[in-house]
Amino acid sequence: MADRDFDPEAMLSALADRGVRFVLIGGMAAVLHGDVGVTVDVDVVPERSDENLERLAKALRDLGARIRTKGEPEGLQFDCSAEFFKNLSPDSIVNMTTERGDLDVTFCPSGTQGFSDLSRDAVEIEAADRLHILVASLQDVIRSKEAAGRDKDRLALPRLRRLLDRLRADGRSRATR
Amino acid sequence: MAERAGVPKSTVGRIESGARVPSTGMVERLVRAAGLEVSVSLSEADPGTDSMFERTLRRSPAERLADATRVARFVLRGRRELAAASDG
Repeated sequence: MADRDFDPEAMLSALADRGVRFVLIGGMAAVLHGDVGVTVDVDVVPERSDENLERLAKALRDLGARIRTKGEPEGLQFDCSAEFFKNLSPDSIVNMTTERGDLDVTFCPSGTQGFSDLSRDAVEIEAADRLHILVASLQDVIRSKEAAGRDKDRLALPRLRRLLDRLRADGRSRATR
Repeated sequence: MAERAGVPKSTVGRIESGARVPSTGMVERLVRAAGLEVSVSLSEADPGTDSMFERTLRRSPAERLADATRVARFVLRGRRELAAASDG
């Protein structure tokens, strides 16, 4: 990332401004449901139609997206086009750094069938003033983290399950106040 | 694995395919056959987490995003400073 501060709202706005159809997943989705974990990137699952991939590529170019890699703090330039995303296998994860922070795009997160699967239970929320996005249900965030099984996911899972229990006990499992 | 655990191969196959849910004893036998040990620990629920949930759930999603952004910036700044210090 450049010197500008991490700004998930700006990343999500860039996607929304270009009309990208996507579901937010991962730690930031959990935060919107009420989690207290620390997350320093944004994970999105775009719908995979040709038109949407065009919109996605435009939004990512607006954000100055580059491939994230340890050796190059500024990231590596890549062919940020609809073709690039079209040619990826469904389980690919594209880890990027942008002018507004780290952004990961995946079409089929672990344990899920991708956009159509996640959007079924996703909830539309206002993540910022006039910024409405689809956020994966907390159950689906948990399902994905269970399947991914990374150390950081395993650490977060007891807390996320506790939050889910809490929301259910309150009679809500939606990211509303 | 089935041989080492002393259970029929078909049993292991059914567990692997999800057709059978193993008992705790069966899990223990299979894990031991793999040269590992099962350990279960119980711990008190952290009341601190619940009180943090109390606070975040009173806030709107937009406020939660803003809070998380501030925390993430703090963490990222710390990481950058640590990296700079170790480089220097």
